[in-house]
Amino acid sequence: MISHRSAETCNKIVITIFFVIISLFVIYPLVYVVSAAFSPGNGIASVNIVPFADGFTVKHFTYIFTGTEYGQWFVNTLIVALSTSVSTIVIASLGSYVFSRFRFTFKKSMLMSLLVLQIFPSFVGMVAIYVILLRIGGLDTLWGLVLVYVAGNIPYNTWLVKNYMDTVSKNLDEAARIDGAGHFRIYATIILPVARPIIAFLGITSFTAPWMDYIFPKMVLRSVDKQTLALGLFSFVTDKKNEFTNFAAGSLIVAIPFIAFFILTQKSMITSFGGAAVKE
Amino acid sequence: MAFALPIDGTANKKIKVTASLFMGLAHILFLRDRLKGALFALTELAFLLLSPSIIRKIVQLVTLGSPQPDLPIKMRDNSIFMLIDGILILAVLAIFAIVYALSVKSAEGTYREYCRKKDYPSQSNSLNTLFGKAFPIFGLAPSFILILVFVAVPLLFSICVAFTNYSAPANIPPNNTVDWVGLDNFKALLGGEASWSGGFARVATWTLTWAVAATITCYFGGLFVAVLLKETNLRISPLFRIIFLLPYAVPSVVSMLVWRNLLNGTFGTVNRTLMTLGLIHNPIPWLGNPVLAQITCVLVNLWAGFGYFMLLSLGTMTAVSQDIFEAARIDGASKFQVLRRITLPLVLYQTTPLIIMSFTHNINNFGAIFFLTGGNPTVPDSTTTSAGGTDILVTWIYKLTITLLKYNYASVIAVMIFLVLAPFAIFNFRRTKAYKEGEL
Repeated sequence: MISHRSAETCNKIVITIFFVIISLFVIYPLVYVVSAAFSPGNGIASVNIVPFADGFTVKHFTYIFTGTEYGQWFVNTLIVALSTSVSTIVIASLGSYVFSRFRFTFKKSMLMSLLVLQIFPSFVGMVAIYVILLRIGGLDTLWGLVLVYVAGNIPYNTWLVKNYMDTVSKNLDEAARIDGAGHFRIYATIILPVARPIIAFLGITSFTAPWMDYIFPKMVLRSVDKQTLALGLFSFVTDKKNEFTNFAAGSLIVAIPFIAFFILTQKSMITSFGGAAVKE
Repeated sequence: MAFALPIDGTANKKIKVTASLFMGLAHILFLRDRLKGALFALTELAFLLLSPSIIRKIVQLVTLGSPQPDLPIKMRDNSIFMLIDGILILAVLAIFAIVYALSVKSAEGTYREYCRKKDYPSQSNSLNTLFGKAFPIFGLAPSFILILVFVAVPLLFSICVAFTNYSAPANIPPNNTVDWVGLDNFKALLGGEASWSGGFARVATWTLTWAVAATITCYFGGLFVAVLLKETNLRISPLFRIIFLLPYAVPSVVSMLVWRNLLNGTFGTVNRTLMTLGLIHNPIPWLGNPVLAQITCVLVNLWAGFGYFMLLSLGTMTAVSQDIFEAARIDGASKFQVLRRITLPLVLYQTTPLIIMSFTHNINNFGAIFFLTGGNPTVPDSTTTSAGGTDILVTWIYKLTITLLKYNYASVIAVMIFLVLAPFAIFNFRRTKAYKEGEL
């Protein structure tokens, strides 16, 4: 019995050491970014290989807000992300409600085409989207970018939300219909509240995507003051110049809210991911 | 004006013919449903009035304009505008055909109703059902229009461009026109021009290798860590879980650009650290040697992606009913047996669709390659094709479009990606509950 227990303790120690090694690998680049953001140097070459060994300064944070358009980029990205998120929720949930609760001609073929359309990465149609935006005056505007994002989000998400709404019992809307509620009332007061989990998922995913996307902003937005964060951060570390410390400072400001959000929600994500995988 | 209709259903053919003759005619003439009929008739009238310009657009779609070198650039035929307008018009035509079919169906339906009730539908009633029926139309209209304009038309456009010579330097509007060339681009990429077909084969092979390697490493890495976390149940497990999840939480633009700088061959931190520690004497070209760069891509992707799969595996393991474990323990199964015979098969089975999804995601994983290596380093065929040693098909499409302006080749590659990915999408579709239960 004693040997069994000591074997287990030994096991635990080995695994803990193993985990610590992985953790070091995982954390190393992240710690390095944090240290670079506060380090006085400029390029990656001038930053000490030991994190936090160069001293401490906040000059990069002051620089990106005063010397570059970082603040404006942040606001632009926030506007794009919020509008994309809200429009996607409204349009996709309305469409899903119709698909879930009505019978009409061509329903089957429409659902099928939604699935086929979402296979393509949306930038395959980049050139055409560029020309269409050019013809409706949407180039170099934030709303043009939002339109592209929302349209790209709809096929897959309509499908997702429709599947969720199918699992919601139809008795609820039957009862409301007998009480004389119209279609829109049923949608807004009964279906939407019940579908809150999937709507939240939809809102979060469509809110986070614009922060990381590079291709479409690069194509649609031309002027410096209209750009989004991904473009701006990328411009700090091109082949021509390397302002790694400014880049690190800018990245830190974006990444911290994301990381905080993930740490706060990871418990519930484990259960919801598990649930999503087990269903179907 | 209105004729009395037989109520035994014998006039169905007459209704059908009249309705097909002109939209809404049957509604107005026989069915006393003037409002609906008038709406349908107006649609057809508008269509007929616009038909000259519709026909002109379709002719332009076929010819794509003719070269007019003597005119100022602004007044020359713009083939690309013609192509897009033509596709939009075709979409409008399709919608019109659908509305036409619906109008005939509606006339027949109204007639059946008339036979059943032995009376004409009252106008106020018709208006009511119209609003009731209009809700799905209003609900779907925004999705429909957005998808049509920003997803469907661009896709059709890309597919069309694959059959044209839209490319620099000789065929870029508005200076020059673009022409249909049939299958020439496919031939060139699949064996016609040596450097292009060689480049295509190389990039396609690497794309598949990359997608398989990236998916497998992340999946099994994540599963392995999840099993260890679950089985050993250390007191500080939650802390490790949070740490392992961190890379997944960081936006990929940020993490990939950080790695790009850390791994830089000449002044990157990783090389400087290894040299200071005396482990190596010459810098390792992490991103400079084609094969090493490919391995680096897979490893960095493992760093970024294993947390996601750890989360998924933990989720499925938590969702597995405890009864099975209880039963196994009563039967005297050891911890390892439970893991091998129960937990792993269950997790594997339930995460299969996610492996497929992750595989298709990796084939199109633009960010992981573009921000880390930019497709570099250069290889022999890079000078003509612009595709570097780590470029996957999507990053190559990007380069072909943005730097080389070879839209025709970019479209051919896009079509190929679609042909490869479509079976996976259909497979996942056929697995869905709605499909299996025959609701669709």
